[in-house]
Amino acid sequence: MSHVTHQSVKLHRTLYMQQAVKDAATTFADFASFTVKRDGDYYAVEIKDIDADVEGDVVAEFCNFALANTAGRKKSKKA
Amino acid sequence: MGHPHIEKLDPKTHTMTLSLDIGLYPADVLYAAAYVFLDRAYVLLDRAGPRFEVHLRGKGELTEAQLSAMSGEFENELLAQALRRKVVKANQKIIEDITSQAIAGAAGGTLPTDFLAAGDDGMDFLDDPLGIAVPWEDKFKKKKDA
Repeated sequence: MSHVTHQSVKLHRTLYMQQAVKDAATTFADFASFTVKRDGDYYAVEIKDIDADVEGDVVAEFCNFALANTAGRKKSKKA
Repeated sequence: MGHPHIEKLDPKTHTMTLSLDIGLYPADVLYAAAYVFLDRAYVLLDRAGPRFEVHLRGKGELTEAQLSAMSGEFENELLAQALRRKVVKANQKIIEDITSQAIAGAAGGTLPTDFLAAGDDGMDFLDDPLGIAVPWEDKFKKKKDA
């Protein structure tokens, strides 16, 4: 069975906060290595060395965490 | 087109893309609705000009009907969150007043004034005119001895 070890994802900068993305990367640091860069309107996230033993989609879970972190930060900023 | 619509629906990959008008749905509402779906779908938000794009992928296998249903649920959640936001905004002052009263009360800051006035009867807290603090055994012994 082939396994993808390298993926990239683009998160729009108006919808995702940089620190929230970085926090999500830290959360998943045990399962892959993340590089977050600015790329125009987006944060380009390079995900390498994805752990083959992990069940589930590391990249998709990372995106969910980035979104949840952003939502949480925006909410606490407002409060 | 103002209301949300399904841009793409692919049962093979269990994915779906919804497109929403930015003017109708503020980002707060979008975040709140997306948050609700995080436990059962992978959610990715994007922007395409004057519209938000919501990419949803089921965590489990989903049929076309289930994907369509999820789309409907997402739209319902958007409306619910928009209404919630409106109600909170309209009642902001009341919510703040009630909260500050509750916090002040818990801190012992605000006792009703009539309660404070009624409490001044010249008695010490150790006084026990009704004998409430006397143990039952002592009362019983006295009666038995007498």
